[in-house]
Amino acid sequence: MEEEFKNLKEEFYSDLQRLPCLAELEKLRVKYLGRKSAIAYLFSKMPGLSKDEKSIWGKNLNLFKQEVQKVLNIQNEKINSREEKLDVTFPSVPFKSGSQHILSSTSRKICSIFEKLGFLVTEGNEIEEEWYNFEALNIPLEHPSRDAFDTFYLNLSEKEKGKYLLRSHTSPSQIRVMQKAKPPLAVISPGRVYRPDEVDATHSFMFNQIEGFVVAEDVNFSHLKGVLLHFAQKFFSSDIRLRFRPHFFPFTEPSAEVDLSCIICGSSSNKVVRKKEKKCSVCKDKGWLEILGCGMIHPKVLTFCGINPKKYKGFAFGMGVERIAMLKYNIADIRLFYDNDLRFLEQFSL
Amino acid sequence: MKFSLNFIQDFIKVKVSAQKLSELLTMAGMEVESLKKSENDWIFDIEVTTNRYDWLSLVGIAKEVATVLGQKLDIKYPAKSKDIILNNQRIVINEYSSCPYYIGCGIKGVKIKKSESWLKERITNCGINSINNIVDITNYCMLKWGNPLHAFDWDKIEGDIYVRKADKGEDFLGIDSKKRELDRSNLVIADSKKIIAIAGVIGAKNTEVDENTKNIFLESAIFSPLVVRRSRRSVGINTESSYRFERMVSPLHLEHACQEAISLIKKMAYGVVSGKKRVGKKSTTNRKKIVISLNDLNIYLGANFSKKEVKNILKNLRFSIREVSSDKLEVQPEVERLDIVREVDIYEELCRIYGYDKIPSQIPFLTHNLANAEKGMYSFKLKISDFSALCGFREIMTYSLEKEEDSLLFNNEKLVKIINPLRTQEGSLRNCLLSGMIKCMRHNLNYSQNCLRLFEIADVYYQKGKGFVEMPVLILGIAGKEEDFFYLKQVVENICNFLRVKKFRYELNNSPKGFESALDVKIDGVNGGFLGKINEEAKQYFNVKENLFFAQLYLPILFKAKQKEKYLPFSVYPEVSRDISICLSKNIRFAEVEKVVKEENNNFSRLQIVSFYKGKEVPQDAKIFTLRIFYQSLQKTLTSQEVDVWHNNIREKLACKNGIELR
Repeated sequence: MEEEFKNLKEEFYSDLQRLPCLAELEKLRVKYLGRKSAIAYLFSKMPGLSKDEKSIWGKNLNLFKQEVQKVLNIQNEKINSREEKLDVTFPSVPFKSGSQHILSSTSRKICSIFEKLGFLVTEGNEIEEEWYNFEALNIPLEHPSRDAFDTFYLNLSEKEKGKYLLRSHTSPSQIRVMQKAKPPLAVISPGRVYRPDEVDATHSFMFNQIEGFVVAEDVNFSHLKGVLLHFAQKFFSSDIRLRFRPHFFPFTEPSAEVDLSCIICGSSSNKVVRKKEKKCSVCKDKGWLEILGCGMIHPKVLTFCGINPKKYKGFAFGMGVERIAMLKYNIADIRLFYDNDLRFLEQFSL
Repeated sequence: MKFSLNFIQDFIKVKVSAQKLSELLTMAGMEVESLKKSENDWIFDIEVTTNRYDWLSLVGIAKEVATVLGQKLDIKYPAKSKDIILNNQRIVINEYSSCPYYIGCGIKGVKIKKSESWLKERITNCGINSINNIVDITNYCMLKWGNPLHAFDWDKIEGDIYVRKADKGEDFLGIDSKKRELDRSNLVIADSKKIIAIAGVIGAKNTEVDENTKNIFLESAIFSPLVVRRSRRSVGINTESSYRFERMVSPLHLEHACQEAISLIKKMAYGVVSGKKRVGKKSTTNRKKIVISLNDLNIYLGANFSKKEVKNILKNLRFSIREVSSDKLEVQPEVERLDIVREVDIYEELCRIYGYDKIPSQIPFLTHNLANAEKGMYSFKLKISDFSALCGFREIMTYSLEKEEDSLLFNNEKLVKIINPLRTQEGSLRNCLLSGMIKCMRHNLNYSQNCLRLFEIADVYYQKGKGFVEMPVLILGIAGKEEDFFYLKQVVENICNFLRVKKFRYELNNSPKGFESALDVKIDGVNGGFLGKINEEAKQYFNVKENLFFAQLYLPILFKAKQKEKYLPFSVYPEVSRDISICLSKNIRFAEVEKVVKEENNNFSRLQIVSFYKGKEVPQDAKIFTLRIFYQSLQKTLTSQEVDVWHNNIREKLACKNGIELR
């Protein structure tokens, strides 16, 4: 018995030496732990032993059986871990991340530049009363200056401030804030606006605007220039230049249109070089791109809002988000924004 | 408006190149949109802003050129001749407020022919076609002085001339050969029998000057801008004449235009003046004097103008100046500058001639009196937008205007409609965001995009009582498989959780329009939105085949219900779980199971579906799944025994329910 047990142990450990794959291991399991195994054979000899021997050999055999089981389990795990090691070269599981619409993110970027200068964002309503869209902004009824602001009217019953319409610019929110709060004021107001324009590559009956204005005792035209230059340099690039051109808006005096030095063909200093090359497709070789309108708030507008123009001064500006995004990202057709084709949207994820 | 450099040279010797002039004008506010060479002339196309009616004449433009170049003008005004009174033509003005002043002039024995080449070149270079000598002369004088004139064939005028309102339904055939029906909004020139012109807009065919015309009646008049604007809008035309009247014409140059036309007709068409008649009164052209302070000017602009610079610019603008004090100047603008009425108007003049570019740029220290609450909804929307994007949704932006049927397919709220839509496709404001998103999904599915997960944050609009509602809404949408709905549901819950909207529950909605199944989202007892799957009818309407799931959340409701961030104690004791395998008949909802589980015990923490069994033995009208129920206490570690007791209670209660079978 003793001899057999010793041989068995030795055999097991020598078997273990030349290991193994899982199949080998299974063979070993059958050989040592199976019903016809050597251990089972030794157990079968137990009834013929004396009481003392029974207790010794029973213990020994059981201990060995446990040992074999343990060793085989460890081996099993070793092999398993070797064979099932993560194959990191398989392709990734698809997960599409989301994103903001390019117009939202552009509008947000613009607003945040102004927020850092001390402006507060407020949004106005898209359904407006006629007075806020026109008269309060010094755009008289039946005046040619209204032609630029053709407007959708709504079937809502008229109130004391005139017919309801869809605002044709974000400027009414300027009036709303000025009526409600006392200066100093510094507000930036983004939102959708509507004009009955036939849709083409540069027109849309709905688009996004951002209006900004400041009313305080000590602001002036040079502040307007400074604030807008800061915006343009932060948004486009630090070497961008602005050109302020006199213009007319009923709600500002003086008024200006602002041009950006062309972001494609760059500064006017390389004019000579440009002439020989192809025409710049973005600025048509003018070297400047119109981006926004602005001016000092007209004293009549301040008066309409109950602000004394002798004491307070203000400046205001308004820009089209589509136009700015088109320039910045080199997009030629405004319709792309509203087609919402994923192949377009996916390109803008920040 | 187009003008030519040669025409300008009639009034001022331009010493700079056309390109340089173009740049100077643009930077002073007369934007040159294009500059083209035409033989020996340069054609400028400028944008005339609505405040500068005076730029609608070559004389006015020449004045601006003189100002920006700092040069002198040489304008030859036609000599005043003694008028012969026109006796045989009565002119009656019925509407003095619409036509304060009217000059009629009869000229006999004209010879109609082609214009001389210089005249032809002048007007064609300014964008007006040459017709014949008489018409060209009237157009030439309009271009030069800014006052539109009209020549009638005098022999075709029957009886007296009236300036009156048209009667409703009166027919009119214009010299453009188009027929129009007039109404009371049209001021017209008529004879005793017929209408011969829409005042200030267009002449009638019936009195047109043609090759057989012998005698002409020349009209020079002032018409009210408002009346001409309404009139031309109601008949839907825009002419060189109406364009000018609408922006106002100067009474100052009316005589000049008329006088020059007469002398040119005498010279080039051999006409003989038979008389002139003036009806009405010219408005006075006295200009208000404005006192400006140099100090105020520099404060307003943030500039540093010297008195010398100011006086110099004003002189170039031909404004008269009187020094009131060392700081103050009294300024009287040039007569035609009706746009200059306040100090700020003079500031702008000074600033634009000086050069906007020379004003320094400074960043002010800004502050405001507004409560941050004003910004609340804006920031709220940004947070939701960020969160939705993080959950894998892509933002879209769709039109707020859509076809009525598209809105009404899902929502009965009374629509706000556009009175003057461009097309019926954009006839009303949408009352929900569904149609826009479905159309966008259809577009992208057609380009074989799959796994569509989209969101939009935009306003919806509808009528309510006597007023209306405009409300920001979030829509989330998925095109995909049934399990995607549960992803959507999870996102809705996560959004509410993220926004700290606590009093949140679902309520089954049995009959939402356009949906086959849906849940209402109740927030603090109020309807805060819904989510569901759209029905076959709606899918067919939009021609999509995929399953579409949507959630809409009303942002003001969420905004109101959100709570402040605050620490809440959490359990430090372990969660214990037990599984139940359930076979649920399809005519009973999972909500029934959930109700039993939740009611049973207050140590219940959450539940989870571990797996759905999909073997062959699943009966057709049932679902088999394993439900894992979690228990947890804030006070202690739960023992196996107590959990077993609760769990067995749940099992027993579930087993009693019809349609629920435990396995």
